[in-house]
Amino acid sequence: MTTTTPEISLRRAEAKPRQRGSDMANWLFLLPAVFFFISYMLYPILRVLFISFTDYKYLSQDPVQFIGVRNYVEAFADPILYAGLSRAAQFTLMFLPGTILIPLVLAVLVDRVRHEGVATFYRIILLIPAVIPGPLIFVLWKWMYDFQIGPINYILVNVLGIFTPQTAPQWLGGTSLTLPAVALFEIWWGLGYHTVFFLAGLAAIPRELYEAARIDGANEWNLLWRITVPRLRPIMAVLVVLRFGSAMAVIDEYLIFGGFNRASPTYTWTVYMYDLAFKLGDWLQGYAAAIGWIGALSMMIVVAGLLYLFRPQDG
Amino acid sequence: MHTTASSTHYRQRARMGVILRHVVINCFVLIILLPLAWVLLLSIKSIPDAYTGTLWPENFDFSHYGYVLQKIETLPRNLFNSIYVTLSTVLITGICAVLGGYALVHLKVPGQRIVLLMLLASLYFPVRVVSLISIFEIQRNLGLINTTGGLILPYVTLNLAISILIMRSIFEQIPHELVDASRIDGCGAWRTLWTVMLPLITNGLAVVIIVNFVTAWGEYLLAATLTNDQAVRTLPVVLASAHGGMGQWSWPRIAAVYVIAITPGIVVFGFAQRLFFKGLIEGALKA
Repeated sequence: MTTTTPEISLRRAEAKPRQRGSDMANWLFLLPAVFFFISYMLYPILRVLFISFTDYKYLSQDPVQFIGVRNYVEAFADPILYAGLSRAAQFTLMFLPGTILIPLVLAVLVDRVRHEGVATFYRIILLIPAVIPGPLIFVLWKWMYDFQIGPINYILVNVLGIFTPQTAPQWLGGTSLTLPAVALFEIWWGLGYHTVFFLAGLAAIPRELYEAARIDGANEWNLLWRITVPRLRPIMAVLVVLRFGSAMAVIDEYLIFGGFNRASPTYTWTVYMYDLAFKLGDWLQGYAAAIGWIGALSMMIVVAGLLYLFRPQDG
Repeated sequence: MHTTASSTHYRQRARMGVILRHVVINCFVLIILLPLAWVLLLSIKSIPDAYTGTLWPENFDFSHYGYVLQKIETLPRNLFNSIYVTLSTVLITGICAVLGGYALVHLKVPGQRIVLLMLLASLYFPVRVVSLISIFEIQRNLGLINTTGGLILPYVTLNLAISILIMRSIFEQIPHELVDASRIDGCGAWRTLWTVMLPLITNGLAVVIIVNFVTAWGEYLLAATLTNDQAVRTLPVVLASAHGGMGQWSWPRIAAVYVIAITPGIVVFGFAQRLFFKGLIEGALKA
């Protein structure tokens, strides 16, 4: 054991803030993470990029031919791709505002609950949907919207009498109501989780800011727009970008609800890619890979725009 | 509060505001709980009641839970598959995240900035969808198609980036001086992590464990693509393809399977919620 005073160790830390045990041996710590990251994320993405320039088919015995950008040329003339991208964008527009703004309002309300026990109770309830995995949420709502046993149509028809069994809305199954219906329960799913996110952001705002503004005569509405919303901007930016990404790339829900009916609004670019790669007899992986990359790149363009829009402004 | 003439009036208005606020919050609480209450109720309805759609049943039947576990041959198997895949994924991702987060903050590793940038970039890219074609190919080359254990490998990466970033921001709150002090006391990087760091990162670890547990427990896309046989599949895939018919798969019985499927996540969260909220505030939001 060496005997050192805390001061010495402090000074060392200041002199060389990040120079600890400079060693390749430290790579051992990063190795497990990097192994999985490369083999099941980075390599697959690049491999799919490569496949998109070939006529690759899993089942084919013929050697893979490099065909340049032919898949991309074909894809850019493919109306199904455009329909798929447009459907994904429509869904995103239905989903994104609700999943950001409703939790924001709810968080402002819950944040003012001063009773510790009650506040904890609310937070726990809010997070219950977040600990139910997505696909199980989709299964639940598939039943909620069901024609035969679903409570939603039961209430509309038998309790409120707005519809008859003949005119009752068909929510899922490729009607024009399907995307709004999916957006609605996706908002339900994210409601609590996003609220808790905003709550953590609200907890970081110093109370004195509000006190001072109140003394200056600001009303609650001013406080919300002048203090709360600007302070939550960074969290909102993260949520908007991440939720945009998840909404544009939705696939599980559409596979569970819509299947592979090309006329259904749930047949987006992701489902099209899946259909081409795994379902259609031809197994056109090369073309599917190109569809996947075009979809991903179109998303990246919008993400870049959003990141620019939400760039830090106080600098 | 103010001791003016209008103080009673002010207090009354404030009180109205409080009541209104709780009413609104409780409406949201109901909106969140009602679908779950409905499926719970469905799982204890008698079979005829389940098919009429009536909200409150005339007869209850609590036998569905015992029935599905005994009579649906593959169900205990599916349940076991889910547990096996989930626990393995949580363990491996947890280890990757703790080691990785520690190395990114407290160790000097050549190229760590590149690793960090790649992890961040991967959050914005639709990796899960785009990589699917290649993951199928990898698993086929490794002979892991239609195996339960094979799912663990791609599952580890589903939340890998966010898990490492969460642990990174947790480690960032531990002062470097602590690491230095421990080093001067003769601890190597491993012992420092194990004895000094581990007790300080439990909140963040709780977040990582819960996030990975939920994702792996419910994963559908990969499981549905990479497996074919009912016996090797996990619970969510079985549930997603189940539609209320007769006999084994009648509605209240599927609902019972459903309640069995969502309970573990809620229970784990219930036990860890204190740590979870602390961890969320400490780290997840800065990630």
